[in-house]
Amino acid sequence: MKNILYNTGYFIKETKTIIRLNLLSNILSFLSIGLIFFILAMMISGWWVSSHIVLAIQEEAEISIYYSEDMDAAGADRLAEEIGNIEGVHEARLVSKEEAYSRMEKILGKEARVLEYLDDNPFNPFIEAKIQIEDISLILEKLDLIEGIEHVRDNREVLERILGISQTIKVLGYLIITAVGISTTVIISHIIRMGIYDCREQINTLRLMGAPEAFIGFPFILEGLLLTMGGGALSSALAAYALKYLYTQAAGPIAFIPLPPREALASSLVMLIMFLSASLGTVGVFFGLSSAKN
Amino acid sequence: MIEAKGVCLEYPDGTMALKNIELSVKPGELVYVIGPSGSGKTSLLKLFMGAEYPTAGSLRVLGQHISKGQASRIRGLRRMIGPVFQDFRLIKGRTALENVMLGMRFLDIPSGCIRENAGNALKKVGLEQKMLSLVEHLSWGECQRVAIARAVSREPVLIIADEPTGNLDKDNALNILELLKSFRDDNKAIIITTHATHLIEDDRYAVHIRMDNGNMIMERPGELR
Repeated sequence: MKNILYNTGYFIKETKTIIRLNLLSNILSFLSIGLIFFILAMMISGWWVSSHIVLAIQEEAEISIYYSEDMDAAGADRLAEEIGNIEGVHEARLVSKEEAYSRMEKILGKEARVLEYLDDNPFNPFIEAKIQIEDISLILEKLDLIEGIEHVRDNREVLERILGISQTIKVLGYLIITAVGISTTVIISHIIRMGIYDCREQINTLRLMGAPEAFIGFPFILEGLLLTMGGGALSSALAAYALKYLYTQAAGPIAFIPLPPREALASSLVMLIMFLSASLGTVGVFFGLSSAKN
Repeated sequence: MIEAKGVCLEYPDGTMALKNIELSVKPGELVYVIGPSGSGKTSLLKLFMGAEYPTAGSLRVLGQHISKGQASRIRGLRRMIGPVFQDFRLIKGRTALENVMLGMRFLDIPSGCIRENAGNALKKVGLEQKMLSLVEHLSWGECQRVAIARAVSREPVLIIADEPTGNLDKDNALNILELLKSFRDDNKAIIITTHATHLIEDDRYAVHIRMDNGNMIMERPGELR
């Protein structure tokens, strides 16, 4: 360790020499690692964003319960209270005809003037219940048993679709992480082996003079880490730029989707990619060194 | 320093490179190993450096038993040896100074002393003016001197030089031998292989060993200085 610290300048110079010996291969390895990590970064972003959306929807999960029109206000209040007592229901409150109308006005925005062509308020009052999404089946079963309820509208289908997409992205994410891990390890171990082959005479000389294996191998460790962490930095920069672009695009047409804050997403992504690149670089270097030991 | 008892070396293809070697080298001794090409001179030096292992017999070099499975001990042993290789084994693309410094970088020599030691060693071999020249720009004789400087700068207790006079004319070869001998002192032993017997005949203070088809013949023990 002491020798490694004393010889920092020598190791940096050696690493530059090793890279120069196979310059084209090193440049191509750097670029391919950068692109592989960029694909991974985008996959992880998709994974995180979809998880965030699912979580947000789960937290906001609610059902609308429509009751018989001939039920009076006191009856509706009692019904809301009964629904509020069902296990898995966080809150149940009455939404009047007027509130339903005003909500629709907000949703329609400029198009809300179509409502003016209607003679009467066409909306019915209903009970809005915030629920624990995992308990939805049980809640629906219990609502079926309560008298006076005409029908229940839930967003289970939408939520299940999003959950399905999220699961698919998750599986794809695992596959891509595996692919990135294998390809990075193969690229780095191969480039290290090439460097060792080119320097074999120098390595043999150092061994004959009693140099420790750590001293001989350190410039190759630096080369591998430089390539993977350089690739990681390149992919992080590309991913940060791509996220900025995608968020700008999403701001207009799908503004209602609850995306996580871009800065937080980008900084977590950069940290993860740099950590992964350093870890996979280390694994690749040690594969390369151990396979070229003799 | 070196104790060999009944040492044999047989290569995997069945070639018997060394047969029943008996040898003792003491501190301060200069040993010439002579003999034609293929007689076993280089194989003997490889054994001393732990680059090969005896297939029979017992060999101790600088207190270390030379046998398989002793990698870290062999590494330690090599750090105490100053090797001058037949083909120099200098690192291309580096200066003479960098090559000499490289031989010391992994030893327990304070970092501040490495450059100073390398400079002094190059001065001693007469290459003060060519310290910063790339080794590929040096002549054969100059490369030989850089290799010697690299070996001695490590402050070894044993210098092993394999054919240091090869491909040199008589004057240059004599100069190289004189240079190597100049590093001999009471604590340091020097082993030199050569087939230029005419250059060493007069050195009566050195031990002369002849190798012949893997057999070792003591030609002349060295006289006391």
